[in-house]
Amino acid sequence: MQTLKLPDLKGASQATVRRWLKQPGAPVAKGDVLVELETENTLAQVESPADGTVAEILAPAGKTIAPGAPLVVLGAPGAAVSAPAAAAAAPKAATPAAPAKATGGPVIPIVMPKAGQSMEEGTLVKWNVQPGARIKKGQVIFVVETDKATVDVEAVDEGRLARIVVPQGETVPVQAPVAYLAENDADADAVIAQGGAVAAAAPAAAVAQASSAAPSAAPVSAAAVTETGRVKASPAARKLAQQRGVNLASISAGSGPGGRILSGDVAAAKPGAAPALAAASGTRAAAGAAPAPAGGVRKKMSQMRKAIARNLLFSKQNIPHFYLKLTVNAEPMFAFYKQEKTRYPCSVNDVVLAAVARAVGEFPQFRCRMENGELIEYPTANIGVAVGMDEGLSVPVIVAAEKLSLQQIGAEAKRLAEAARKGKVEHMGEGVFTVTNLGMLGIEEFAAIINPPEAAILAIGAAHDTIVPKDGAARVGKVMTMMLSVDHRVIDGMVGAKFLARMKELLENPAQLV
Amino acid sequence: MSQHFDIAVIGSGPGGYVAALKAGQLGAKAAVVEMSHLGGTCLNNGCIPSKALLASAELLHHIQHAGDLGVQVTGATFDWAKIQARKDKVLTMLRGGIKALFGGRKVTLFQGRAVLNGPGKIVVHKPDGSKEEITAAKVIIASGSVPSRIPGWPTDPNLVCTSDESLHWKALPKSVLIVGGGVIGCEFACMLQPLGVQVTVVEMLPKLLPNLDSQIADALEKIFTKRGIKCFTNTKVNELAAGPGGMKAVFSNGQNITVEKVLVATGRRPNTADLALDSVGLTTDRGFIRVNDRMETPVQDYYCIGDANGRCLLAHAASAHGVCAVENALGHARAFDAPIPNCVYTFPEIGTVGLTSVEAKAKGLPVFVGSYPIGFLGKAMAVGDTDGFVKVIRHRETGELLGVHILGHNATECIAAAGALLHQKVTVEVLAETVFAHPTISEAIKESAEDALHMALHLPPRKLLRVVAESA
Repeated sequence: MQTLKLPDLKGASQATVRRWLKQPGAPVAKGDVLVELETENTLAQVESPADGTVAEILAPAGKTIAPGAPLVVLGAPGAAVSAPAAAAAAPKAATPAAPAKATGGPVIPIVMPKAGQSMEEGTLVKWNVQPGARIKKGQVIFVVETDKATVDVEAVDEGRLARIVVPQGETVPVQAPVAYLAENDADADAVIAQGGAVAAAAPAAAVAQASSAAPSAAPVSAAAVTETGRVKASPAARKLAQQRGVNLASISAGSGPGGRILSGDVAAAKPGAAPALAAASGTRAAAGAAPAPAGGVRKKMSQMRKAIARNLLFSKQNIPHFYLKLTVNAEPMFAFYKQEKTRYPCSVNDVVLAAVARAVGEFPQFRCRMENGELIEYPTANIGVAVGMDEGLSVPVIVAAEKLSLQQIGAEAKRLAEAARKGKVEHMGEGVFTVTNLGMLGIEEFAAIINPPEAAILAIGAAHDTIVPKDGAARVGKVMTMMLSVDHRVIDGMVGAKFLARMKELLENPAQLV
Repeated sequence: MSQHFDIAVIGSGPGGYVAALKAGQLGAKAAVVEMSHLGGTCLNNGCIPSKALLASAELLHHIQHAGDLGVQVTGATFDWAKIQARKDKVLTMLRGGIKALFGGRKVTLFQGRAVLNGPGKIVVHKPDGSKEEITAAKVIIASGSVPSRIPGWPTDPNLVCTSDESLHWKALPKSVLIVGGGVIGCEFACMLQPLGVQVTVVEMLPKLLPNLDSQIADALEKIFTKRGIKCFTNTKVNELAAGPGGMKAVFSNGQNITVEKVLVATGRRPNTADLALDSVGLTTDRGFIRVNDRMETPVQDYYCIGDANGRCLLAHAASAHGVCAVENALGHARAFDAPIPNCVYTFPEIGTVGLTSVEAKAKGLPVFVGSYPIGFLGKAMAVGDTDGFVKVIRHRETGELLGVHILGHNATECIAAAGALLHQKVTVEVLAETVFAHPTISEAIKESAEDALHMALHLPPRKLLRVVAESA
């Protein structure tokens, strides 16, 4: 073991480490280039004076050091650097700049997975393992709440969990390290001390894999922090970050080219320590933290509430809604439901869903979604069913519902709703049309907000008794009101009216739904 | 009953007139007090007249070298009186332009000398000897600066001139000693040489253009010397006296020189002495009225912009200050933090923005300097103007773009792109990834940004320094 130092670089007073060509664990021959540094006008390469193995890097990329400063600890040739014996043999004085017990053994970060296209951050709801535990591939190690669902995260690497850096309840961006695998705690600490630096030292960064995510390891998205430690960010992102007090370095990967942080990434990130500018501006500071009224409680918005807020605000602000209302005679539907129920479990709502599935299957305009300024017509009637919960709502989707029988629809709706209440939302985001029903709570009629990129949503009221005209006389009858909310960019009034008329025909003659 | 204004501006230079226009644009009732021509130093005794004269001189310089491009011109001469007349016409048109702009923004112009007279009050001393008092809720002092003179030297402005007189010479002298090798001195030297004037420049400091990148200064000195301009750096004028045959100067190196005229270009001092600043409680620091980033003086409702505040003695800085001051005066909160480009209109031109490597090092910033010779560019060769280079200063740890320095054809125009990116605090990578049109001179900016990242394609591979790590 020996510590190598930076030699004189033609009289330069300082040099900045540009990149390491040999990583910890790598064998080194005398004369091999270990590291590249920059002075003000020169690019310098530093060779190893001897054969050996890189045990520990003492001057990480991006660090500016003076000649004579320690660069790297070089172990004996062929030394297994992660073996505890090597650590014991290392003279403590040799590595003054780093924790004495670090062995330079491999440290593998576990990062927040991206469990969906739109996922930008996740809240770590629960750790299933504790530091010190041995982790096997495929083992569920933690649970994440995204803006849409709660997801079990499986390990894609084996090893010993050395350090947890994101405790339960904290929200971090996708790709941010949440824990580190290492045989030696000190090795993990050394990596964490270097800013967690999505460990340049680790040969392969392990990405924790969400169990519902795509098969095979998700590709590691390019990190926004480069090997020299500078943060790649667009000017607009920098400005927004300054305004909002977001630390750019806390965003581990941007969505721009090469991982560059874009303003959208900053908008989605949590503010860190407020910088001077934000603090200096009195109005902003006041607007940022409204005091809770006496007796009031300030509550963090859950990921689900944030998603509801974002999606529905977008919908109301961007979609030209129009509304069509039609009241149907609910008696045939009720009679039909009672008759079917004797043969298999089903509900009134299932009958409505079956009618919707049929009608959506027949009207291609109602299978259209507006995506990126284009209309995409889906081949199947994927019907979303709004499921209300204490903390919000989610919309699992019955895929190709027009191909299912009433019995199958009923079974599928029940299964999806139960799963959703447990935090597992299936086929979310694949719907073309949504049904929302508040009839069971006695609501007679209501107008729903379209769930983008879908183009329509049907709100079902309570089937209730009222006075209806019959053959010129008043009598008591059961009716149900449907309110269709339509995106006028996609569907016009006449088509909407025809759709609703077809719904009425189906519900008043339900025998054809079998 | 004195007239009352929301904002009164003292001085109509590029700081003052822009401030008044901004005030008018934002709906405020604005007044400007000007004791001389509209436009201040910039329009009357600075930027514009010097550029008009330089244009004539540069054209003559090109004609003198037209043979290099295969164009034969014989018997090219110039008429100094016509050159001056053209310059004067340009100034008249531009003054008219400011007056018209004032009309459009309903800015009231008071012709006369402004003297502060207690809080919110300004007395205008008019040319006819009368006085008029106006009042204002906010006062912006934009009184500018005047050229420094050297105490003890002959005071005849026909013999020992400043830029104020030299720009309006009725006849060209045969020989000139320029004392001071800063921006003004270098521009005059460059302008006078092609017109046949024997030019000698004396600079006390080790290099010409002491505030700019030292390599640029060295290169310019070399170009000047080649053209026959005599440059003495590290040199002082110990004695100066009128004698037979002209002004006789003795340099600190012992050398003697006799010239027809002397141009003192040693700097400018603030024009604040006659404002009665103490009547409102304002003080000065070596004549400058110090302000914060919002252009506020220590006295409430008084702002100071441009040369008079001493932050940056450049016209475009004054204009930017003016907008900032007015916005703050009218209740908008704005701090001034934009980088200010610095341009020298020699040929070749100099355009710089941001930190030099020396300034960066003084701030303790680790930098890497990329550079690219203008002469390697296709455009430079095609137009026959291959002098100069570009330097890009990069923060070694963060990659941030810290400065761009250009010596070369059209540098003052090229620098704008760098200024825009620097203002956005981009990394050098952004500059290197930007596509520049080909063939242009500004391509050298991209090339040197690439060099700063060790990825320049149009340069030979960078020489590596290979060293062996020291064993402990």
